[in-house]
Amino acid sequence: MNPSKALSTAALCLAPLAAQAHHSFTVYFDPAKEVTITGTVTSFRFTNPHGTIVLAVADAQGRVREWRAETNAPVVLQRRGWTRASVKPGDRITIDGWPSRDGKPYIRLRRAVHQDGRLVGTAPFGRQDQS
Amino acid sequence: MRFALIGLALLSASAPALAEPDLKGFWNLAFEGEPDPALIAKLPPGTVVIEDTGVVEFPEDEYGGLILKPEALARARAWQPADEMKLERVCLPPSIVYAIQGPFPFEVHQTPGLIVLKYEYFDQTRLIFMDGRPHPPADAPHSKMGHSVGRWDGDELVIDTTHIAASTITNNGLDHSDSIHMVERYKLSADGTRLMATQWFEDPAVLDNTGARFIQWAKQPGQHVFPYECDPSFALEYQQAGEVD
Repeated sequence: MNPSKALSTAALCLAPLAAQAHHSFTVYFDPAKEVTITGTVTSFRFTNPHGTIVLAVADAQGRVREWRAETNAPVVLQRRGWTRASVKPGDRITIDGWPSRDGKPYIRLRRAVHQDGRLVGTAPFGRQDQS
Repeated sequence: MRFALIGLALLSASAPALAEPDLKGFWNLAFEGEPDPALIAKLPPGTVVIEDTGVVEFPEDEYGGLILKPEALARARAWQPADEMKLERVCLPPSIVYAIQGPFPFEVHQTPGLIVLKYEYFDQTRLIFMDGRPHPPADAPHSKMGHSVGRWDGDELVIDTTHIAASTITNNGLDHSDSIHMVERYKLSADGTRLMATQWFEDPAVLDNTGARFIQWAKQPGQHVFPYECDPSFALEYQQAGEVD
């Protein structure tokens, strides 16, 4: 082993690995469950690594809860007909998707539909579009 | 005999050089298709082919047959997914070891001496030096894309990569060290519409065996990668979910 290699190996043993992982669908969301929410859009973030639609959702008693729907990466959305103007604050939409495993009001978007029945974009997203 | 040799030399000089395969273009992950047996057969003996390409993601504590060193296994089991959803981490790109198999496209730009792979995922770019140069010294800077040298083996492009900064292997807590060594072997399908590859890696600091993936991409003419421009404030959206309940 040459000196520089020995030094590199020693450093590896001493230092924690400064690694990172991308946000994982499987770890965060339950693919066996589905959830559907209808509400009024309060914001739409169209930036990578994921877009976010914030929705004010009223329950049967009229109590309003804030939900967040995480989208695929906008680079993926763009190839499926989405733009940053696809959803606007004030729009009434229905979103279905997969719920967060931790019970938060946070879902992974499969499909968004406008109040008049128009699909947002050209096709829904599947598990194979997980990023 | 002398004339025969001269004739052979003339024939060699006048014959056009065998063209290297043209890999240029826009390639997007192909979600269907079986592994190419010939490429799989060229993997070193004992290699485990992990099946987490594209659609599949391993759950926690599943590593697809990779055998982890005890220290690596302990780190993987201590990993907390929520740690990745923090402002300071959510836009850190994974290394090419994991990024290569994801559902994002890339462009190939090819010259005799240099091949450039431009990935959409996190705006990453790889330079594949085809001019015969060696890797730099072991203590040279490491990066998420590493240092790559390539050569043609018949119709197959073989890329050898070192100097990859520590990052995830399987996106669920298993991390490679900065000593990981990766060898990719690329080839075109017979009709040129698919690009197939094996991605082999060894990391004795972390793994007791060696791993590989089989990946294939479909050619989509006329397309280009989009800018990624990761925005870390996305992490705040997840943190704020449920705060006002």
